[in-house]
Amino acid sequence: MSRWLKFFFMIAVGIAIGLIYGWVISPVEYTNTTPDTLRADYRSDYVLMVAEVFHADQNIDLAARQLGILGSEPPTKIAAQALEYALQANFPASDLSLLQNLVAALQTWQPAPGGTSP
Amino acid sequence: MSTERVSNRGSWYLLTGTLIGLALGLLVAWILFPVEYVDTSPASLRPDFKDQYRSMIASAFLATGELGRAQSRLSLLDDADPVQALTLQSQSALSAGDPDGSAYALARLADALKLSPTGVSILPTSTPASATQPLLSGATVTPAHPPASMITPVSSPTPRPTRTPTPTVGAAYILIKQEDSCETNLPEGLLQVEVQDAAGRPVPGAEIILAWQGGEEHFFTGLKPELGDGYADFTMTPDTVYTIQLASGGQLVSNLSAPSCRTSAGDNYHGGVRLLFQQP
Repeated sequence: MSRWLKFFFMIAVGIAIGLIYGWVISPVEYTNTTPDTLRADYRSDYVLMVAEVFHADQNIDLAARQLGILGSEPPTKIAAQALEYALQANFPASDLSLLQNLVAALQTWQPAPGGTSP
Repeated sequence: MSTERVSNRGSWYLLTGTLIGLALGLLVAWILFPVEYVDTSPASLRPDFKDQYRSMIASAFLATGELGRAQSRLSLLDDADPVQALTLQSQSALSAGDPDGSAYALARLADALKLSPTGVSILPTSTPASATQPLLSGATVTPAHPPASMITPVSSPTPRPTRTPTPTVGAAYILIKQEDSCETNLPEGLLQVEVQDAAGRPVPGAEIILAWQGGEEHFFTGLKPELGDGYADFTMTPDTVYTIQLASGGQLVSNLSAPSCRTSAGDNYHGGVRLLFQQP
């Protein structure tokens, strides 16, 4: 094997070691993430919690504000996405009903001037 | 001599190649194409978002009374001690004036978890997209299962958790016991208040209103957990008459004042008062 071939072979070995170390052994860790990066099932469960609270207190302004931490999209869209996921994931009928009520309430909800805060 | 130098140079260029490759590999892995976490779990949330998530869990528990579901959700936050995390957050919310009104819910959930029997089965939270990742310790999701909601048990016969009885919202508290205390080991004029629900369990986060001529003070139970979750106290000024009531309503107790006590040596001092409020 020529000297250059050996040289490039060792570069390839180094790249392989670097990738294994960087992707597997010590990958970049995200410890301070924001709720908008949550996986769809966790997002849906968060929305379900909001729906459960809304069912009890009927405070749609509070519900919209609570949904606000899931991202900059309108609360209606966030809730609708959660409902869509819940339908696909076969959530129990009682949970689907709660989510549907929340989506319906948000569709007729008008944000208070100056934001969603009550 | 010349042959030796060539041999050494051979070893060095191989090492150089490896190091160059290693640097390129790390550049790709850490900078150019780092592992992306777009589908994160609640455990990786920033602490303030974790607090919001925890508040939401507590509020949902207060709304539904489903302790098993709340436990499953709490486990996603990977708190070392969920009860302590709830209690601390509740107390810190109270100290800050409870701006979002979550202190009571957090305290209620902490209380319910403390009272729940050990070994309460936590429903396995099946899900997901990454089927190899266990969401709860000991509950590994089987890849064959389709994604399901957080509360759908993996084993179908497992019943859903039953609704935890909670005190009737708004039920008026009544004074069960009132006694003067002349204990010398307590601060003078100490007003000790204990608040319990209908089952006799301490109620943390209960707001108490104490009024006197020219002043009013609001304080909460549960800020001294070492003395009980339903405990609160206030130091009364001697010769001042107070009126006390729970903010949620109930019996108004008036004409409260620090009693006069006397030591065995004949010295006078002011004792304290103990009150016990309970929901009927």
